Amino acid sequence: MQRIQVSLKVNGKKYRLETPPNRTLLEVLREDLGLTGAKDGCSSGECGACTVLLDGRAVNSCLVLIGSADGHSIETVEGLQKAGMPHPLQKAFVEKGAVQCGFCTPGMLMAAKALLDQNPKPDEEQIRTALAGNLCRCTGYTKIIDAVQEAAKELRYE
Amino acid sequence: MQSFNYLAPHSQNELCQVLCNTAGKIIAGGTDMLPQMRNLKQTPSTLIDISHISDLRYIQESEDEVLIGALTTWSDILESPLIQKTAPALAQAASLVGAPMTRNRGTIGGNLGNASPAADSLPPLLTLDAIVHLNSQSGQRQVPLRNFLTGPGTTDLKADEYIQQVSYKKVALPFGNVFNKLGPRQGMTISIASVAVLLALDANGKITLARIALGAVAPTAVRCPDAEAFLLGKEPSTELWQEAAHQVRKAIAPIDDVRGTQEYRHHIAGILTRRALQTAYLSLQE
Ligand SMILES: Cc1cc2nc3c(=O)[nH]c(=O)nc-3n(C[C@H](O)[C@H](O)[C@H](O)COP(=O)(O)OP(=O)(O)OC[C@H]3O[C@@H](n4cnc5c(N)ncnc54)[C@H](O)[C@@H]3O)c2cc1C
Ligand code: FES
Ligand code: FES
Repeated sequence: MQRIQVSLKVNGKKYRLETPPNRTLLEVLREDLGLTGAKDGCSSGECGACTVLLDGRAVNSCLVLIGSADGHSIETVEGLQKAGMPHPLQKAFVEKGAVQCGFCTPGMLMAAKALLDQNPKPDEEQIRTALAGNLCRCTGYTKIIDAVQEAAKELRYE
Repeated sequence: MQSFNYLAPHSQNELCQVLCNTAGKIIAGGTDMLPQMRNLKQTPSTLIDISHISDLRYIQESEDEVLIGALTTWSDILESPLIQKTAPALAQAASLVGAPMTRNRGTIGGNLGNASPAADSLPPLLTLDAIVHLNSQSGQRQVPLRNFLTGPGTTDLKADEYIQQVSYKKVALPFGNVFNKLGPRQGMTISIASVAVLLALDANGKITLARIALGAVAPTAVRCPDAEAFLLGKEPSTELWQEAAHQVRKAIAPIDDVRGTQEYRHHIAGILTRRALQTAYLSLQE
């Protein structure tokens, strides 16, 4: 069985690993690096539970072949906190009640981070567009939108 | 996932050699390929990952043409002022593809290569008379998009070729170019039917350019030459759009599938066409 060498930077830390090529970035993050924040909800790009940032852009890690992540920089939900302090998005999700079962939350947070990194002052429509690929079966989305708006405010130091 | 032999060329030269020496299947963004491999619709023994060939990702213009590299993502297209100006319907289609995550990975080359009759790049590109540029060890070949598409999921691509870029001639401003699709739901949806139109008028308000292309209502995305010819030289009106929509309904051959019935597709293809023509016309009045 062929094995390939892959270099990744994940949450600022460099990794060099060897793996069979028929694996996704999601599998490697969860199984090899122990980063189980990103979830496997559908394995087909439909639910967004596996969302991570690749070179700053939100992607479905279940649809990224590990070989094509080689040389790229990845951010996962585990990288959001700084020195034990939650990211403003994480804080707002908790405070606004945007988390129920939590399965969608890591993906939601990363899709929301990609949005706020690009657009510090999104309106509701823009938030809904940015999160259109992240399904939540619990919250009804309203509180998630509120949380993103709240976090955007805090990030702008308003 | 099934196992496969994995090759990742880093240049177009290397890719030509790989394609010449190995019977392999190309993967770009993987947003079509990985789901298809998971449900065994694709079982490649060798996978050729072209995502590391950085010089296949560009949007360029010459005096009279726009060139889009195969690895250009939907997000690149959506954010490009050049595309917004020269191919508004394509930018609009890009904004409606999947979710941001899909648009950040999915490429235009992959959309063409997958050749789904519902692929959203196709109607806009057909209204621009786009040309697909193919490359291989034995040289380059240019094929009009309408000949490149040979059936649902099939193209004129040879085993040793890859899609290098797609190009179109700039249309003289002003023109209206609109894309419209209907899916099972608002966001993140595969088209039940889609339409792109391109419209230009002369100083007297008569139609000088009319191009209509539809997706998901025939074995390939199609142009509607009869409806186009019918519109030429006429003055825009609601009745005219109705009649064009009627012509379009005659030209298509939709099927039943999980997303919609044949009858429903017939119905909405006309409605989408009428609306797109009106929107294109209104955009010319601005
Ligand atoms: C959740 C979701 C939503 C989607 N929504 C839409 C939508 O709204 N509209 C739409 O049109 N599509 C949609 N798609 C389908 C898909 O994202 C697009 O077709 C995308 O453009 C495919 O590009 P890719 O780079 O991911 O292709 P890949 O999956 O990498 O490849 C697709 C096919 O093209 C071939 N190929 C790729 N690049 C080349 C090349 N340069 N030369 C030759 N052959 C090549 C491959 O061999 C394969 O057969 C969706 C997919 C998902 C998962
Ligand atoms: S697990 Fe990747 S989108 Fe659902
Ligand atoms: S909180 Fe349960 S799926 Fe979103």
